[in-house]
Amino acid sequence: MLFGMCLLEIYILKINVSVINTHGVQMPKHIVSGLKYLTAVELIRDGLSQKEVAEILEMDRSTVSHYLNGRNLSWNSIEVAEIITKFCPKDFLTLTYALLDNSEKTRIIVKTCSKKEFQAEIEESCIGCGLCADTCLMNAIVLDDLKAHIDSNWCNGCLMCRDVCPTNSIKIFGGK
Amino acid sequence: MVANTKEVKDKDICVLRISPEEKRELSFKDEQCIGCGICEKICPVEAIELGDIGAIERTGVDESKISVDEEKCVLCGMCSSACPVDALELKLDEKSIKDMEEYPKLIKTAEISDEECIFCKACETACPREAITIARVLPDRSKLVTGEIEIDKDTCINCGVCEEMCPADAIEMEHHEPTSSDPTVSSDISVNKDKCVYCLICKKACPVDAIKAVCRSCSYGEYDLKPEDSEIKGSSFIDEDACVNCGWCEEICPVDAAKVKKAFEGELDIDLEKCEACGACVDICPCNVLSFPESTKPGEIVEKLKKDETFCIYCGACENVCPVEAIGVKRTDVDFTPTKSKSWKKQLESLKT
Repeated sequence: MLFGMCLLEIYILKINVSVINTHGVQMPKHIVSGLKYLTAVELIRDGLSQKEVAEILEMDRSTVSHYLNGRNLSWNSIEVAEIITKFCPKDFLTLTYALLDNSEKTRIIVKTCSKKEFQAEIEESCIGCGLCADTCLMNAIVLDDLKAHIDSNWCNGCLMCRDVCPTNSIKIFGGK
Repeated sequence: MVANTKEVKDKDICVLRISPEEKRELSFKDEQCIGCGICEKICPVEAIELGDIGAIERTGVDESKISVDEEKCVLCGMCSSACPVDALELKLDEKSIKDMEEYPKLIKTAEISDEECIFCKACETACPREAITIARVLPDRSKLVTGEIEIDKDTCINCGVCEEMCPADAIEMEHHEPTSSDPTVSSDISVNKDKCVYCLICKKACPVDAIKAVCRSCSYGEYDLKPEDSEIKGSSFIDEDACVNCGWCEEICPVDAAKVKKAFEGELDIDLEKCEACGACVDICPCNVLSFPESTKPGEIVEKLKKDETFCIYCGACENVCPVEAIGVKRTDVDFTPTKSKSWKKQLESLKT
């Protein structure tokens, strides 16, 4: 099912690329603004104050306020950002990382805007090589006693760790 | 994406993986490698390949004993933990996994107790890896024998007999050509009392009885010799990089000062029917276990190959190089520190054959 979704998203992404092109070089920044807006809305909904949101996203408090009041932001950007959050987890994560070029903010945005929950299971065949931990853009993986441990709170189900694991020891469940 | 890089310097290999969180570095030192191929066997991703060890050892060709495929290597460190001679080492952020408790390592040691050691240097001579250095300070010879010696220079005719005969080279003369103003062959004669052992040979040999000498030890016994003056001091050093824990030092030590613990137990079998006495195993064996027997009398027919299994570390290098499969190395036990990782335990246990 994931594969099917990805095909659809490649199609959507093509549309987006054409949007980016017609709007010039500023478009990636607009999409980032859209993603930050979506994240800010989620965080406020989770009960955080505007001040806390500003700190987490490293923005001015006034900018957060403007965002939340729908100012300084085109609805078109929010629309594109919303499409991106609905990509398959790997595409959402890698595209967000490419747009932001900042590991910490990528983690926050992807964690906040991902609606699905994933559980990971590491089999005993894990050799603790750490390749998964080095690959995980969410920093959800740590090694303990030569075995990987995946923090479900941070896992966004991108499956990149599973793809690089040399011993096929990673199983990711969920996605609901 | 994180990708590995490889650096090759001479015959040494280094594979690196650097991420923002961690730097992993696997290094291979060719000089330490004994060509056993245990790394190749234990590698879970088949990234290591053992070279043509026999040819490398016997021709000295400029080639590393192993090759590491950096595309396949995941820098897990199993080769580093299993290498019986520490030729491979994985470091995480510059710290060796050999110093990290969670990583299992082979239990192998070689120690020489300086308390017990009498610094005879037998181990230094026997060590097949030249890993042992014994530094010793011998006692002062002049303190082990005492006496008195005096040469009456008026009687002495400078014949040089005493100088020639002195076994300790303790008598020194100032030779010169005689002239009309100084019609002698030597201007002076002296005894170096640090060298003189009061053997009295000079006294007995002097044709004109010019030497008065007495050995006090002979005349009065050794009452004035202090036991601490005859003490041999020293220290032992084992180069851990070169040591293969073969046990030669322990076996040869006359006072049980050397103790060796091997990581593997096993059996070494030689099929003398198949053996063609090519000597590849003799050349590769890091422990001088294998040798060609020599006949002791004319016409004696000796075996093709001799083994001294006491010194075998069951590394399997000989089995690898034997071209006719005449050697079988069985590992019945692998001794390693405990680990919580089942996969590591399984992989290390798999070295048993």
